[in-house]
Amino acid sequence: MQRISHDERAALGLLGPLAVVLMAVTAFPILYSLWISLFAVNLRRPARQPFVGLDNYLHVLGDAQFLESVTRTAWFSAIAVLAVLVIATLVAILLDQEFPGRRILSACLLIPWAIPSVANGLMWKWIYDANYGALNGALMQLGFITQAQVWLGNANRTIPLIANAFIWKEVPLAAILLLVTLKSIPSDLYAAARVDGAPAWHRFVHVTLPAMRPGFLLVALYELLMAVRHFDLFSLLTEGGPGGASDVLAWRIYVETFRNLSFGTGAAMSYILAVATLAASYALIRSMAQRL
Amino acid sequence: MSGVIIRRPWAPRLLRTAVLGAASLLLLIYVLAPVAWLLSSSLQQERELTSIPPHWIPDHPTLQNFRAIFATGLGYAQPSANGVDPTSGGFIPSVAANLLPAMGNSFIVAFAVVVLNLLIGVPAAYAIAKIRFRFRNAALYTILATRVIPDIALVVPFFLMVRKLGLLDSLTSLIITYLAVTVPFSVFVLASFFEQLPDDLDRAARVDGCSRLQVLTRVFLPLARPALVAVGLFAFLASWNEFLLALMFTQTAASQTLPIVVAGITSDFTVSFSFLNAAGVLAVVPPVILAVMFERYIVSGLTAGAVKG
Repeated sequence: MQRISHDERAALGLLGPLAVVLMAVTAFPILYSLWISLFAVNLRRPARQPFVGLDNYLHVLGDAQFLESVTRTAWFSAIAVLAVLVIATLVAILLDQEFPGRRILSACLLIPWAIPSVANGLMWKWIYDANYGALNGALMQLGFITQAQVWLGNANRTIPLIANAFIWKEVPLAAILLLVTLKSIPSDLYAAARVDGAPAWHRFVHVTLPAMRPGFLLVALYELLMAVRHFDLFSLLTEGGPGGASDVLAWRIYVETFRNLSFGTGAAMSYILAVATLAASYALIRSMAQRL
Repeated sequence: MSGVIIRRPWAPRLLRTAVLGAASLLLLIYVLAPVAWLLSSSLQQERELTSIPPHWIPDHPTLQNFRAIFATGLGYAQPSANGVDPTSGGFIPSVAANLLPAMGNSFIVAFAVVVLNLLIGVPAAYAIAKIRFRFRNAALYTILATRVIPDIALVVPFFLMVRKLGLLDSLTSLIITYLAVTVPFSVFVLASFFEQLPDDLDRAARVDGCSRLQVLTRVFLPLARPALVAVGLFAFLASWNEFLLALMFTQTAASQTLPIVVAGITSDFTVSFSFLNAAGVLAVVPPVILAVMFERYIVSGLTAGAVKG
């Protein structure tokens, strides 16, 4: 057995408080949740909580409502991640240039990132309002529509519109991270391309984009994890409606747990979510650990 | 010399300026227009706000909504419900009285979370960045793994734990659970900052007889001020903005934070649109001021931490 060195004792002491906290607020809860998911826990009948093994998982995976919410979550995440990547790339390229007012612009860019998601939800709900909303007002003034439209209440539009509110808030962080990648591209790569006489767009496609791959990967993984678990906007804008059109995974877990009071199946659902995103999570952890 | 187009030097420069200007303007509108509309709506009377087409800039700006929030919140006015337009001063929704206390709760929770984050995060980050010990990688991976656990997956066990401890509807439950969503990120940002400080600093101070704790407090902390500010800001904003956990644990005005009261107003059909927007503005102002004031710290912190989680 190896002796614990002086340095190791110091490290243990310094890490002690963190270990206690993480044990209490993440490790224990996540194991406790696994335990709960193996029982039929319903707060409506607290006296009877039989062990049911994997029944909760089998029940959830055979539940059409749950499976539809998975499809909807995938659709929402696909729109959100793609749009965030495209818009954030354009913003990062803009902020990479030197021009007067650039600093003010990047300070303003932080505003969507900073505002609470509740305020973001309230704001977009009011913008999308079917009677007096700014979206109807602006489109009518510009002559695109002649009649006020129902936006969130139209099942075909709900997911893209909620995604838009999500994208608006996520773009700043994504742009900041992509800008870092952009600035880290060695300038001799560009110099070589310039010597070859490559036009600007050519340099962009063959030098810039490939060099930004690590940044794209990081942002895509992070935004994917954020989109898949997103709850706030669905709760604030539509409560899963209209008619289940925005009933995504996070909302389903909330309804199952706190409206149906079925904690066993709720825990099973959240475990399925956590495991389903494990690959993306692991890739993200790897890319972050390498930086330290 | 085939294929070489000779251009006057000012033409591409002018084009560049025009493109950059247009792109900047577009971005500025995209970022600011929704917030500007929120602000403008909060300053309009209900009659003006429900006119078609909308008045983008209020003809008769009024601070009535904000006056109502501060008057009832401080106990100078009673909420009423006589059906008169709130912005004409006759009607103050009863939720107006809850906004200022909720803001107070938000401040208490956020402040406590910031302090705890620094107390727990600084020593841990120093150990990870500057001490080579067995299990360092295991510790690092564990910390990072806790960052990717979905908050929604913690909701079920958290609720049962908080209920069992009798902490439902208390600020304590929020402060403790918010550590789960803030501490791993704080440690990561601080560790990447400490990592950049030269190891020689550590060694020199230890040769002079400083203990690990003394090195940390006397040498590293003063140098780490930007990282401390950034981490403090992140923890503050994350707590101030948090919605999901607060929705689960808080039930009465005694513990409800600002997002919960504002969300209640959003889904209350008796509250006027203009008052609703005023409540939104109240929630937006503190974090936006902090973000714009400390933009430098935030951007460098985010860059160091790579991702907010």
